[in-house]
Amino acid sequence: RSHLVASLLCLEGMMMSLFIMATLIASNTHFPLVNIMPIILLVFAACETAVGLALLISISNTYGLDYVHNLNLLQC
Amino acid sequence: MAYILFTLSVLLVMGFVGFSSKPSPIYGGLALIISGVVGCVIVLNCGGVYMGLMMFLVYLGGMMVVFGYTTAMAIEEYPETWGSGLEVLGGLLVGLMMEVMLVLWVLSLDEAVVVVVGFSDTGDWVIFEGEGSGLIRGDSIGAGALYDYGRWLVVVAGWTLFVGVYVVIEIVRGN
Repeated sequence: RSHLVASLLCLEGMMMSLFIMATLIASNTHFPLVNIMPIILLVFAACETAVGLALLISISNTYGLDYVHNLNLLQC
Repeated sequence: MAYILFTLSVLLVMGFVGFSSKPSPIYGGLALIISGVVGCVIVLNCGGVYMGLMMFLVYLGGMMVVFGYTTAMAIEEYPETWGSGLEVLGGLLVGLMMEVMLVLWVLSLDEAVVVVVGFSDTGDWVIFEGEGSGLIRGDSIGAGALYDYGRWLVVVAGWTLFVGVYVVIEIVRGN
């Protein structure tokens, strides 16, 4: 009985750890131009979060809850 | 405190274990917010003041707020916290135990965690032209160069955000 939003939270955690790693690389190697990369990463992570949450809302509208075992249209 | 960066990184991993052991989404969001705050302080400790501010504003202030009310809207049941089910508690304890073992192993080595006191990595660049002397921060100047060398990247990112909003509206409309 696991939620779909738990996977979205883990995805957010991955994006945050990538942001922290890129910022620390930019600060420790004294290369300020690399600071562009975490900012752009944040922009595209925000897009991805928005689309993921929209899919979550449409799943929750169809099935009532966002349990992962509800997504079973393909049955082999 | 000398080992502040090491302690903060251990707290960051513990916060990540807190939401990756998959409690109910509200508690997972809380653990993500705490991890975000700790990660921001790590970035601040290495001299990236502008990056820490960006992370607080965009990430914690924007995306976590959206996560919070979407979770509150899409979930209605009895939320399970870290101590209620055996799977969540087991995952949390395994993660914490792995982190404790890693910390003990790192501290038992000779030169892995040392105190680095150096003034070469505080991150300020002193400029001496113009009238008097000035001071620029490396990270805000670097991020400002996004609008100089990365003009086309700004246009692409802005267009991506616009199309993303349109995609979200089309998905939520359904049928």
